[in-house]
Amino acid sequence: MLLDPGFKLTLRPMEYPAFYDMYRDAIKNTWTVEEIDFSTDIVDLANRLTPAEGHMIARLVAFFATGDSIVSNNLVLNLYKHINSPEARMYLSRQLYEEALHVQFYLTLLDTYIPDEDERAEAFAAVDNIPSISNKADFCYKWIGSINKLEATHTHEERKGFLLNLICFAGCIEGLFFFAAFAYVYFMRSKGLLNGLAAGTNWVFRDESAHMSFAFEVINTVRDEQPELFDEDLEARVIEMFEEAVECELMFAEDLLEGGVSGLSLKDMRAYLEFVADQRLANLGMAPRFGSKNPFAFMELQDVQELSNFFERKVSAYQVSVTGEVAFDEAF
Amino acid sequence: MSQSATTQATENSDSGTQAPAAATGMHVQKRNGGLEAVDLNKIVIAITRNSEGLTQVDPIRIATRTISGLYDGATTAELDQLSIQTAASLIAEEPEYSRLAGRLLSAYIDKEVQNQEIYSFSQSIKRGHELGLVNDETLELVMANSRKLNDTIEPERSHLFNYFGARTVYDRYMLKDPVTRMVIETPQYFFMRVACGLAKRPGEARDFYRLISSLRYLPSSPTLFNSGTCHTQLSSCYLLDSPDDSLDAIYDRYKDIAQLSKYAGGIGISWSRVRSRGSLIRGTNGNSNGIVPFLKTLDSSVAAVNQGGRRKGAACVYLETWHGDIEDFLELRENTGEESRRTHNLNQANWVPDLFMQRVQDNQTWSLFDPKVVPELVDTFGDEFKQKYEAAEAAGLALRQLPARDLYARMMRNLAQTGNGWMTFKDASNERCNQTAKKGNVVHLSNLCTEILEVTSDAETAVCNLGSVNLGKCVVDGAFDYQALAEIVRTAVKYLDRVIDINYYPIDEAKSSNSRWRPVGMGAMGLQDVFFQLRLPFDSPEALEISSRIQEEIYYNALVTSNELAKQHGPHAAWEDTRAFQGDLQFDLWGVTPPETERWDKLKAKIAKHGLRNSLLLAIAPTATIASIAGCYECIEPQVSNLFKRETLSGDFMQINDYLVNDLKELGLWTDETRNTIKKGEGSVQDVSALSDEMRALYRTSWELPQKALIDLAAARGPYLDQSQSLNLFMASPTIGKLSSMYAYAWQKGLKTTYYLRSRPATRIRQTTTTDTSDVACSLENPESCEACN
Repeated sequence: MLLDPGFKLTLRPMEYPAFYDMYRDAIKNTWTVEEIDFSTDIVDLANRLTPAEGHMIARLVAFFATGDSIVSNNLVLNLYKHINSPEARMYLSRQLYEEALHVQFYLTLLDTYIPDEDERAEAFAAVDNIPSISNKADFCYKWIGSINKLEATHTHEERKGFLLNLICFAGCIEGLFFFAAFAYVYFMRSKGLLNGLAAGTNWVFRDESAHMSFAFEVINTVRDEQPELFDEDLEARVIEMFEEAVECELMFAEDLLEGGVSGLSLKDMRAYLEFVADQRLANLGMAPRFGSKNPFAFMELQDVQELSNFFERKVSAYQVSVTGEVAFDEAF
Repeated sequence: MSQSATTQATENSDSGTQAPAAATGMHVQKRNGGLEAVDLNKIVIAITRNSEGLTQVDPIRIATRTISGLYDGATTAELDQLSIQTAASLIAEEPEYSRLAGRLLSAYIDKEVQNQEIYSFSQSIKRGHELGLVNDETLELVMANSRKLNDTIEPERSHLFNYFGARTVYDRYMLKDPVTRMVIETPQYFFMRVACGLAKRPGEARDFYRLISSLRYLPSSPTLFNSGTCHTQLSSCYLLDSPDDSLDAIYDRYKDIAQLSKYAGGIGISWSRVRSRGSLIRGTNGNSNGIVPFLKTLDSSVAAVNQGGRRKGAACVYLETWHGDIEDFLELRENTGEESRRTHNLNQANWVPDLFMQRVQDNQTWSLFDPKVVPELVDTFGDEFKQKYEAAEAAGLALRQLPARDLYARMMRNLAQTGNGWMTFKDASNERCNQTAKKGNVVHLSNLCTEILEVTSDAETAVCNLGSVNLGKCVVDGAFDYQALAEIVRTAVKYLDRVIDINYYPIDEAKSSNSRWRPVGMGAMGLQDVFFQLRLPFDSPEALEISSRIQEEIYYNALVTSNELAKQHGPHAAWEDTRAFQGDLQFDLWGVTPPETERWDKLKAKIAKHGLRNSLLLAIAPTATIASIAGCYECIEPQVSNLFKRETLSGDFMQINDYLVNDLKELGLWTDETRNTIKKGEGSVQDVSALSDEMRALYRTSWELPQKALIDLAAARGPYLDQSQSLNLFMASPTIGKLSSMYAYAWQKGLKTTYYLRSRPATRIRQTTTTDTSDVACSLENPESCEACN
């Protein structure tokens, strides 16, 4: 079973080919920070944002500055050792690289956005200084830190501890906090602002979406193998976790939107968070808890394929690692 | 900030329709700084006023949602903008909201202009001149005829825009006060300004205004940006020959390119004459580092020139396939590797001789050369090139040899991984070019969008002015109206020719070339609209027939007009150096006989007598921005999706296939469920099970169509297209095998050029707004088709 303690090494016969396919797809989507053009962002920041929007962006990038590092640490310290499948560990290794890439992206972003060194240092210290951000970090530590000392998942309770970590990780941090952050970026993007941030974030979220899919695949595999772990107690704890996550993110939203941003009201933000939380519960095969509808029509824009005019935006819809031989008779 | 229709309602408490005040608990800040309670009913009234003829829009819903997104104490301008955005955000659910949002925006713009005390077209021009934006000639023309021109303006034509069109014009095309950044023209004043910039008499201005404001034809972006202004750089494309193999020549080119990009021109530049890596440099007795470091400099230079914030500077570098640095060149766009050898802003194209493609087919060896050693290869094509290439091989001058297929595979990989490294064919481009009749006149490259093919040399930089007819507007009562098309083409070509004389040439080499050859590029857009209206699948035989006939009509009428202009003003200076002078038109060069030979014979006789005013007349450009303004599909391209977003400098815009929505509505199938299915299918209707096979065939996307059909259509219009076309090809998951087959076919069919290869990312962002279900179902037997894994 996937959570049986150990470090399995054999890849053939492959027990979980889905993980291997995900690994290969991830490789095809390799991008680099150097491809992102921040030149128009600088102009936007200086001339086109309202003070309230400027505050929102400053807070948001402060969160980004540390968010992915928390994720990376959890990946290494709490997930890698318990998911006992070499193909899944290939995926996790790839994910770890992607998280580092995201950290690099946000590092470059902050260096570009905040020229003043003192202000920059302050932004990176946000996790300690800004209450709405440290509050989010506390939430993460509470739910994912509980298995820091766990060496192996033998008992039911230990395995449930692992599942709660993974659900918090994929469902709340990647699946809710990051999706909320995405809404802010996307709101700006729908107005044609901060293209560099939007381009990079788009790639980050393409990666994060794949991470979530992987995590849910792990959870579902465990469910197939040991359905008894998914009992009422676990469900109750998951609901409690999501309720806390929504409140936590809402406190962050209050901070971000304190100047008043037309088109992003707090009321709508709450509905959006509840809507996304319900979707994550659905991903876990659970009933909705909040019953809210998505109020942000601009989020529909991220659900459809994009067409860029290469004059204006770098086209991002390409794959790397294309294979095959020269031929003249293949169908096209 | 300015005011709009919505604000008017909130500020004039006794407006026409009386409704009980509906308190919302919110306040807006008025222009004078005072606070006022937001009244739902007043917003509803303002929206209703703009909803005339729109049966599906719900003003109460827009008003409620607008208020829901508002914060207490927002400004009235924010309220107005939010109501526009709110309407726009419902486009995917009901396309009529696009019209509503467009009208609300138009009303907003009108107010913005009026608040600056500009109430007529002539006042707008006067203000523009005072601000140093509008040129003297245009001011004079307008002032001398102000009443006539003001009366010609038809404000209701702004209702022809959908939201995206209105937004694009507002954000990027209309003249702005340099200090306040407010627009000083309405959309209709804008069209009239463009017309007056090209007109000599008020009657001409009226004719051209009526044509472009009807959206049946639009000039290219540089003309829309700059006509009538103090910077009349109206051309879209510049083609620069490769710098000679010297440091001075290379740095002179950087400067030329910077000058040309400054005023909205796209650049094509060849680099084939510059020596390759390892070549000896006599002056220092060192070895050259090859072309890559110079292209890196070009990359930075292009990025530095920002076209007034309206467009980014952009360039495409062409390299011949035998050049010693071709392999380094093919790595320029890769996203890994040494950054000093990567150029993220430059586009690249391969200038491919037939000999290479033949050797790929025959699985033979290919030789790479240093142009310093064999400079003659750049200036020859066809048999002459083949002789010189083989002689150089026999003389042992090759730097290196490799299997032709290895290099071809690398070209294909570059296309798949970056979309770049466009395949353009040197011999087809030269042998079927009107300008290459005289020995020594050689086409060395195409342009940024691979639709322009004109000769260049060190002394001649080729220029082209473009415009596109909106074919979708030529369908009347279920049939294509060729007469309407003919009329549009004749008027349009007249003004394209006019641009040549008015145009400001940032460098002398462009001016001398343009007056010798007088080339123009009449193109087309909205072919997909024609096919949807006539209900023809893109790959049907009928579509092929109509598409070819359309192109023949465009060519015929463009030639007729150019011949008439030649009769009036004389042929272009290099007329005797053209193939048309020798009696060959484009279809003769393809060995094709047009269906109605009689009218062509008559025209040829006239051409023999008076010549042509223009050496080249047609080119099908990508039309990305002007198709947005016109609200039609891009050039000759199939739709990429029934539901997608356009990413632009002004933001992201949802686009939906109106034709499909109307069909679905008629069938009673335009439901949440259908919308969800289409969204989940990334804009495909193949999973909408209630649709007939016929409809599913009609509404296939570019990803679902056989690409062979796109190439066949392109090849069939070739005999009536004297330059070329920006032909994008689409492959969701490219492999080397599929791509090499596809491009070999395109070459065999005689295409002169191809453009982007578009493909899809391997994984995608998780959708938030579709109804999500459990991820439990993962079919391990068939991971390819499983949504959870893909």
